[in-house]
Amino acid sequence: MASKADRQKTTGRTRHSDHESFLRYRGFLWLKIAFAASFLAILLYGFNHVEPRANGGSAYGYIMGTIGAGLILWLTLLGARKRTITPGRWSLKAWTSAHVYLGLALIVIATLHTGFQFGWNVHTLAYALMMFVIISGIFGITAYSLVPQELSANRGETTQVQMLDNLRMLDRQIHDAAQPLNHDEAEMVQYSLNDDPFAGGLIARLSGNYPKCGTKKALDLIRAAPGRESGYGNDALDQVETLLERKRSSLSRIRKHLRLKALLEVWLYIHVPLTFALIAALFVHIFAVFYYW
Amino acid sequence: MSFIVRKLARTADGREIVRSKSYNRPQLTVGRGTDSDIHLPDLAVTLHHAMIRLVGNGQVEISATAGLPVVVDGNQTEHVTVNAIGGADVRIGSHDIRVSAGDGDEAGQVILTVERVGAISNSSEAKEEVKVFSLASVIPGKRPLAWTFVIAVLAIFLAWPLVASFQRSDPDPGAARPKSFHADQMWSSGALSQVHKGLENDCRACHVNGGSSVKDEACATCHTAVHDHADPARLQVAMGKGGIETRFKRTVNGLFNRPPGRCVECHTEHEGATAMPATDERFCTNCHKDMKGRLTDTKLADAADFGDDHPQFMPTLRMVSAAGVPSAARVSLDGKPTENNGLKFPHDVHLSATNGIAQMAKMLGKGEGYGQPLQCANCHRRDATGSSFVAVDMEADCQACHSLDFDAVGGTIRTLRHGDPAQVVADIRAFYSSGGQYRAAATQGMERRRPGAFTNRAVAVDYAQGQVGRGGTADSAIRAVFSPGGACFDCHVVKPTGNARVPFAVAPVALTKRYMMKGWFDHAAHDTERCESCHAVKTSKLSSDVNLPKIARCQDCHGGQDAHKQVPSSCAMCHDYHRNDFAPLMVRSGKVRGKAAQRLDDKSNERAAGSDDPS
Repeated sequence: MASKADRQKTTGRTRHSDHESFLRYRGFLWLKIAFAASFLAILLYGFNHVEPRANGGSAYGYIMGTIGAGLILWLTLLGARKRTITPGRWSLKAWTSAHVYLGLALIVIATLHTGFQFGWNVHTLAYALMMFVIISGIFGITAYSLVPQELSANRGETTQVQMLDNLRMLDRQIHDAAQPLNHDEAEMVQYSLNDDPFAGGLIARLSGNYPKCGTKKALDLIRAAPGRESGYGNDALDQVETLLERKRSSLSRIRKHLRLKALLEVWLYIHVPLTFALIAALFVHIFAVFYYW
Repeated sequence: MSFIVRKLARTADGREIVRSKSYNRPQLTVGRGTDSDIHLPDLAVTLHHAMIRLVGNGQVEISATAGLPVVVDGNQTEHVTVNAIGGADVRIGSHDIRVSAGDGDEAGQVILTVERVGAISNSSEAKEEVKVFSLASVIPGKRPLAWTFVIAVLAIFLAWPLVASFQRSDPDPGAARPKSFHADQMWSSGALSQVHKGLENDCRACHVNGGSSVKDEACATCHTAVHDHADPARLQVAMGKGGIETRFKRTVNGLFNRPPGRCVECHTEHEGATAMPATDERFCTNCHKDMKGRLTDTKLADAADFGDDHPQFMPTLRMVSAAGVPSAARVSLDGKPTENNGLKFPHDVHLSATNGIAQMAKMLGKGEGYGQPLQCANCHRRDATGSSFVAVDMEADCQACHSLDFDAVGGTIRTLRHGDPAQVVADIRAFYSSGGQYRAAATQGMERRRPGAFTNRAVAVDYAQGQVGRGGTADSAIRAVFSPGGACFDCHVVKPTGNARVPFAVAPVALTKRYMMKGWFDHAAHDTERCESCHAVKTSKLSSDVNLPKIARCQDCHGGQDAHKQVPSSCAMCHDYHRNDFAPLMVRSGKVRGKAAQRLDDKSNERAAGSDDPS
């Protein structure tokens, strides 16, 4: 593969591998096909003269619309295809590669189908949903190519279970260390222990921001607690504070992990449900066109 | 009575470990403090949290000692007495203390079973690793989301509009629908043209039946007066079979019950809130290019483009046969045709800048509307539309020079009645029978008025009265007026009738109001031009000359729809598909005129701004 050889030459740090990503599949075969299809569609659009203005109801419009609708249904079938495992020519990799590049070509095909006529109607709704699906797909591809490196860098050699166990161990230590504390101080520590490390909604997951973090609150309270003695070990809270600090650092790694995982996963929560919304809207679009013909 | 405290713990594999300890005293302290009898290593428990005391008869008193309540059998309390035989559950922090009465060896003793029931921290609780680390724990699943979206889309954008569509109960498509939002509007693919704006919320005014394309009948509900371009059968022949693409399109349209030649094929809608777009040239040339090959018996010449494939103009001209029977026919300007409108009128003489007529016009002065050599506008006046001219009228347009005055009675001028030869004859006879024989009637035509002394009425009549001495009879005067040199003969074709009462007849005059019956020409749109730049009247000696410009003159500025000419002109600029007598839609809708007018406005504004500018 020429592309692989080039890569090795330019980036010495890349190890040789037989792996070929679905994006580079067979020397970008499907990228080339998608480009050719888009170019042909644009060329025909340029030469096709529709009066008074280009619209989806012209012969060209119907052809592009049919191709676009067919493509959408076929692209959706990736979900079914990936659940069956077959080797060879129509491998999942080939299918995924085609899915990505033909999905991008759909931008051109569907936009030309509209004849650049948009409005507040079900037709533009279908178009908008399609664009959201495609954009979420582009986001997904980007995430897949960037996030995993960061994810493994953050994780080090630990697994998710180990991360959780580490947290539990710290909790036990904090719990033990807090035993001598009076009730008020124990309550401060409880903020940390009772806090669910996986709490926080979608926004917290994606931003990595946890303003209501119990450990942070416990730390703040303990640091501000009255009557703290200076110097380590002079105060019963010193050990707890140290442990909480460790817990906080452990939590921040877990939360970064959660954030990266969320970035990897979130696009599918848009891509898949919106695809089905798109198919519904596409059906209504076609139905409406032929109902009020 | 005493207590037995049993502490339960569990190994990692869930096995129970029990540690028992007997206390032979009536009360036990409970707390996190290591000095407590029942030590609960639990941060939710205060150092000295509660006291458990025997009060006799198997009754056990539980009281909170740190002001924080305990939970006994699900009820929060600070002080409660329970029966050991009945048993009780005391919850303090994450720990559970079960109170029960001993039996057998332990009979009469109160057994307190202590067990940690809550995890020491939230993270220590059982968690499904795969789930908590994935986004699935904070977002609804893809499948429920997909179903929700699908149902929402189908409900809002399919079911609702369908219901709205069926709710239009009035079957008469002409009846208006109430002006409010109807859900089926969401199916509209674009705004309607301005003229159809009122139908915007009433889909079924045009889309009468769901699932069937718009039919001409729907248009005809309102457009009752529009008639066909031609016989539909002939239209089909003229269209021809077309190429593969056309034939394929027709087959597909046929499959979907879309008959050819429907109004909406040209009058496309939902293309935005603009004026109804003018028909594209292709819709005309589809048939009219090489049409003779298909519609062999047509009288129409082929036309494909105004700039380079359009027949010479064929104005409708008036002819008069030798027997005097008038007829009209379309004749090509290439054949140098003549017409017969019944009038004698040399344009060249009237438009000369130097001859007697020019001098006379100057003499008549501005007061009479002249003052300069004759201009076209002295006789030809625009009609109300501005696009054409009113017919030249003798009284208004000719009589300032071509006077029919023949007598004066006490300062009142008597005039021969124009257009009524019998009346003229009668008036002249009356004049002579009332002493006219002593003063000849002023019956000369163009000889009468000359530059100078003859240009005002009083002088003219004096001149007439000066003829008295020459004598004369009514008959000779009548003959004179209808003969060469006479007032009638100069402009009209006069024939003797042989009838003594009305001895002469004037051939009827029929000035052509509109030459181009098949095409539209708008003079107002050509105000920037001079009359003579198209009409070569300065050299026209006879009224039979057809002073219309040939197509080549038009082509100086006008080209086909896509031509790089000053004025690209599609067929629709001059021809209307539906053949009514008015200007074509393209002109009526003001699309072309509107732009021209706008440009002129802009120019005049610029000019005005320039002159007002003090610098």
